[in-house]
Amino acid sequence: MKQILLITDGCSNVGESPVMAAAHALAEGIVVNVVGVLDYGTIGELGAFEIQEIAKAGGGLHRIVGTPQLAQTMQMMTRKTVVQTIQQAVNKEIQHILGGGSLEELPPDKRSQVVEVVDELAETSSLEVALLIDASASMKPKLAAVEEAIRDLMLSLKARAGASRLAVFHFPGRGSEEEVVLDVNWTSDLDGVRSMFGRLQMKGATPTGPALLKVIEFFQYGTLGNNQSWKGHTGQEEGMLGDYVV
Amino acid sequence: MVTTLSNAGYPPGTVITGKWRKSRYIVERTLGKGANGRVYLVHRAGVRQRYALKVGYDALDLQSEINVLSALKEQMHNAYLVEADDHQDSSGDVPFYVMRYIEGDPLHRFIGRRGKEWLGLVGLNLLEKLSLLHASGYVFGDLKPDNVMVSPYGKVELIDYGGVSSIGRSVKQFTEWYDRGYWNAGSRTGDISYDLFSFAVMCIQVLDEKALREASRQLPQTRSMTDLVMLVRRNPAFKPYAAWLNKALAGEFADSREALNQWRGSIRGPSAGRARSRQQDTPRWLRNAFALSLFILACTIFFLFR
Repeated sequence: MKQILLITDGCSNVGESPVMAAAHALAEGIVVNVVGVLDYGTIGELGAFEIQEIAKAGGGLHRIVGTPQLAQTMQMMTRKTVVQTIQQAVNKEIQHILGGGSLEELPPDKRSQVVEVVDELAETSSLEVALLIDASASMKPKLAAVEEAIRDLMLSLKARAGASRLAVFHFPGRGSEEEVVLDVNWTSDLDGVRSMFGRLQMKGATPTGPALLKVIEFFQYGTLGNNQSWKGHTGQEEGMLGDYVV
Repeated sequence: MVTTLSNAGYPPGTVITGKWRKSRYIVERTLGKGANGRVYLVHRAGVRQRYALKVGYDALDLQSEINVLSALKEQMHNAYLVEADDHQDSSGDVPFYVMRYIEGDPLHRFIGRRGKEWLGLVGLNLLEKLSLLHASGYVFGDLKPDNVMVSPYGKVELIDYGGVSSIGRSVKQFTEWYDRGYWNAGSRTGDISYDLFSFAVMCIQVLDEKALREASRQLPQTRSMTDLVMLVRRNPAFKPYAAWLNKALAGEFADSREALNQWRGSIRGPSAGRARSRQQDTPRWLRNAFALSLFILACTIFFLFR
């Protein structure tokens, strides 16, 4: 199972639409969850709308929380998404066998058996979570909390019976060509990782869409590389949110 | 995609009818809200027998809980689960299950009202419940004062089985303070030590909530089990329990039977009684009355020699 967890505090403003990018992810079997982090002020109607749209397109969940709830929210989302992904697959099987219907429509004893299977799979299946962190200027004071939340998530993943690993990315990168930076490669243990986000250069740009596309690529090829295949899409970059981007 | 009850819950008088088994329950009032559902106080139509009825937000989450409860029903003669069914309301089919209604107060309110000296007995009863659960192959997971109901004479029932998982599996639900991972004191794998750790934090909270809150305020990476141990050492109120708490925090109990026996020893042993009576505080009313009489005395003397 593959998931991307995007942590941001506002709107994207450069490059491809993140909503389209999230839809691409889902097409590749990667669920996209989004957490909006906010401590002071508001995330804005626009930001909240984009967060919701990205998650919807990516088949995932979205929440807007303060830093104190961040760790718990990330943990809950990851867990719920795992169960949901399996439930969807199982529901498909149920429909296949019974010719329609879903879990909710099964009589209690049948439902009990199905849920037992779902719970078992949710615990034992392998899981990869890529964390994509918005490191634009306004996020800087929150990064310590984000790092803590990631370590906490690793602790929860480690407790699973199935193999679990995570990778950490932040965006934007240093140059204008670099949309996203790999901070921690696939790992099952963060104890050896001293500081995730070394020295960041804070810039105003928030290329959420391009960063998402790069992470999808990473899932497929294990590298951020110079593979520019997604550039082909830039012609259509006026995605769903094109009109809203300020 | 989180399904929630769009309305504010069912008002009193609502009739909840089972789709499969046709039982009818009448809502008296809301008892509370859990992580995956809302709990109502109900009675069966035509009968005065009262139950607690939990309406789930999500069929899968609730069924998972029901599965644990029915497994427990087979192993423990003390049946908690009555039945499970679906109810049809304006939003469609909603799953629910019915359980025994447990009258009482959550742990912290009980101790707050009745006094800290009740902790020994209540703790003993709770450890007994936990060791039964552990013997059946489960850990409770989300152990916290809200999930421990205490009846007027200190009998204990666990409520909200949403966090229960099989031993060796990951803990499904947890709450920061009571979570071993939160204190950098170990994994989130459900083992009996996980529950005992939560139990120890609960005791600390009940006896000295202020200190616990302070300890939890420091930076996450420096938070550690040692802080809890220090906190236990500092306050004399912990004395009878200190050895037990340290062992639970360090995860050194081999099983919950051992934990239960040592708890019993520490609250009933000859040294325990003395430790408790020595530190009995003067009641506040007595101290206040004493202060008042001193004041009156001072006034009298003042007026006398003016």
